[in-house]
Amino acid sequence: MKRRIAITGIGIISPLGFGHEEFWRNLTRGVSGIAPITSLDVSDYPCKLAAEVRGLNPSDYLGDKGLKYLTKGTKFLASATKLALEDAGLTQNDHNLEHAGIVIGSALGNYPQTTDYTYDILKYGPEKLLPMDSYDVALNSSINFVSVFLKLTGPSRTVSSGFTSSTDAIGDAFSLIQKNKADLLITGGVEQISLDSYLIFLMQKLLAGSQDSTPEISVPFDRRRNGFILSEGSYVFTLEDMESARRRGARVYAEITGHGLTYMGAKKFNTEQKIDRVRTAMEQALAQAGQSKDSLGLICANGNSSRLTDLVEAKAINALLGDRAKEVPVSSIKSQSGECYGASGAMQTASCLLAMDKSTIPPIMGYEVPDPECNLNLVLQEKRSQDIRVAMVSSLDYSGNCTCLILEKRDM
Amino acid sequence: MPKVVVTGLGLVTAIGSNVEESWGAMLNAQDGTTEITSFDTSRYKVHRACELKGLNSNNNRGTKNRHTVYDCLSAATKEALQDSGILDYRGLERNKIGISVGTLAGELSAFEHRLRDHPDSKASGFSMDVVLSYPPMTLSTQLAEDFQIEGPNVILINACSSGNHAMCWAFDMLQDQKVSAMIVGGSDVVPQTEFTHFHNLKALAPEKCQPFDKNRQGLVVGAGAGVLILETLEHAKKRGANIYAEIKGYGLSSDGFHMTAPHPKGEGAIRAMEIALDNSELSYKDINYISAHGTGTPLNDKMETLALKAVFKERVQDTPCSSVKSMIGHTMGAASAIESVVCCLSIRTGRIPPTINYETKDPECDLDCVPNEARSKEVKFALNNSFAFGGNNASIVFGRV
Repeated sequence: MKRRIAITGIGIISPLGFGHEEFWRNLTRGVSGIAPITSLDVSDYPCKLAAEVRGLNPSDYLGDKGLKYLTKGTKFLASATKLALEDAGLTQNDHNLEHAGIVIGSALGNYPQTTDYTYDILKYGPEKLLPMDSYDVALNSSINFVSVFLKLTGPSRTVSSGFTSSTDAIGDAFSLIQKNKADLLITGGVEQISLDSYLIFLMQKLLAGSQDSTPEISVPFDRRRNGFILSEGSYVFTLEDMESARRRGARVYAEITGHGLTYMGAKKFNTEQKIDRVRTAMEQALAQAGQSKDSLGLICANGNSSRLTDLVEAKAINALLGDRAKEVPVSSIKSQSGECYGASGAMQTASCLLAMDKSTIPPIMGYEVPDPECNLNLVLQEKRSQDIRVAMVSSLDYSGNCTCLILEKRDM
Repeated sequence: MPKVVVTGLGLVTAIGSNVEESWGAMLNAQDGTTEITSFDTSRYKVHRACELKGLNSNNNRGTKNRHTVYDCLSAATKEALQDSGILDYRGLERNKIGISVGTLAGELSAFEHRLRDHPDSKASGFSMDVVLSYPPMTLSTQLAEDFQIEGPNVILINACSSGNHAMCWAFDMLQDQKVSAMIVGGSDVVPQTEFTHFHNLKALAPEKCQPFDKNRQGLVVGAGAGVLILETLEHAKKRGANIYAEIKGYGLSSDGFHMTAPHPKGEGAIRAMEIALDNSELSYKDINYISAHGTGTPLNDKMETLALKAVFKERVQDTPCSSVKSMIGHTMGAASAIESVVCCLSIRTGRIPPTINYETKDPECDLDCVPNEARSKEVKFALNNSFAFGGNNASIVFGRV
């Protein structure tokens, strides 16, 4: 018999607060994490807004030692990991962590600091640089740091698949535990705003307001949508084999039961083909979970305010649900949180788990103009109370994968 | 669980631009180390690496003498696909072929070239070609585009064990029957950034790579790519494919010890190998060849010997264990993918490539490292080790079908 996989802890470092309680309070009160960018000088560029992590004091979570060698992303990830472990009732030297591992998704990882290091080599010369200058400047070094910091001895890897990176990482962790490759894995995603990431998305005209002079808004599925607003942070979970979670008396937020993924990025694919690929990923995830569209109680959508991906997702949901599209609530938190690209799937998973836990669905804020092409049962303006047993997280990359997860709440 | 087999191979190394050339050169004990030409090394103490010689660069990412990671990856992919014949299969579902690629640095080298020409572009803006090759994932999406592959697509970034991680990810996807075939590989060139990183850690050998030798001085960085076509046995049989080997199982572990140094007793390495054997339902006695991580750094080789002794016990002297890094350098994210190809070829041909530049016995590395000359030996089962910086370990077992 296949092992069952429980999610037992949530750790969050986000523009909407630190720890899942603050995150949830802000989310359900309609607080926005989006504001004028302060960490970068963007005076020469058209897009001025982002959802930045503000006021983080990493020594609250990590102690004071060695922090100056760590990148912003590593501080996010390590702090979120500490919060997740604490939430799961695991201490840093817990014997349950002995054979644990870490599987994290990140689209860009520590690339910005790696290219900063390149710049320093070229500008000052290699002989001026010390070994510690490159301590944390590999693409995957954030994960290595956490693995060393927590003395983890299980599998550790970084998955990089664009905007579905963290969803693919969670799906991977799910599969590794199912196959007995680990009993406990730390999983999720991390991204950091840098001038590099800002320019990469700006130049591809993916940011809100980068295509024309329309206002910078992040309102998923609204007809006025014109791109996403950049976000950063880290969202981390503890995934455990259900038996061992129960044995240690852990609280179980939900069980992961399905993981479907398809590729929707081919340039030759037209909109219809993309929709079909997204629907297929959704169906695969449901089929693996042994569920059907009839049992779905919530979709935590990718909805990031992009013109095309929102439309593709909305149509795929309609194709999947048929008549049930009127009943199944669809939520996206990106009107408040922004688009955390590689960590978005983990961010959505966090909001999905909390929605199931609190029987409350967070709303899309600022929605004004309905788009007949995105005809969904959207949760708008006010949080909605609803008991949710089966939920889906859907995650779409603009030129890559579509990955979906199924989460189920069971009476223990 | 479905069985997973290898049906196509592709290689790009410093000693050959395809499988035939690279494998032939390995069996001939050829050393690919040369003076670095892709960047100025006058301010370094080390000037040598295993850069590529013959590869034709014909895509828009690379310019003359500047091979990109994608150049290597696409050349090796093209060869592996042709070798497998999979794209000619009439029953092929392109959405059931996935891609997983390991890399340490992505297109960092291309970025460096840009930065050398336009130093201010780091702060003031990027050209569109840099923008489009900056996210590591563009390696696999470009591959999907160029070869019209329509299945799930990921990059695994795990420093020097990236290639094996990509293999393991693909193996799981196939066992879960989410796909019926996978293009798996690893690719890296020699970015000045990584060269500097290793150089300043004093991890580089000045002249040559000498794994397990008493006087070994470090690693030599290399460029290259290895690509394998994996399929479920059922899919391979249905289309009458030529099967090189079966992937029997794998083991993953972390040292949880240090950002750059391996665990001194090799605890993580031991665990990765033992889990891999256990997962393959094999004993250490069954293994006929070990493709060592064997970087040629004093610490790694000592640690790996201790770990091999712990796992292979009384058989350790009788199990040949060589490192092709002595010939092609440490190709980082590509290394374990290239060495996976080597394992498949040793199973297929009954030939084991040597560890070259071996001059002086080291009592701390008393293994049969197949010194300096290739050897003929029947290989039923081969173990491929990769133990990356950061203590990131992945071992895979290949078996004859």
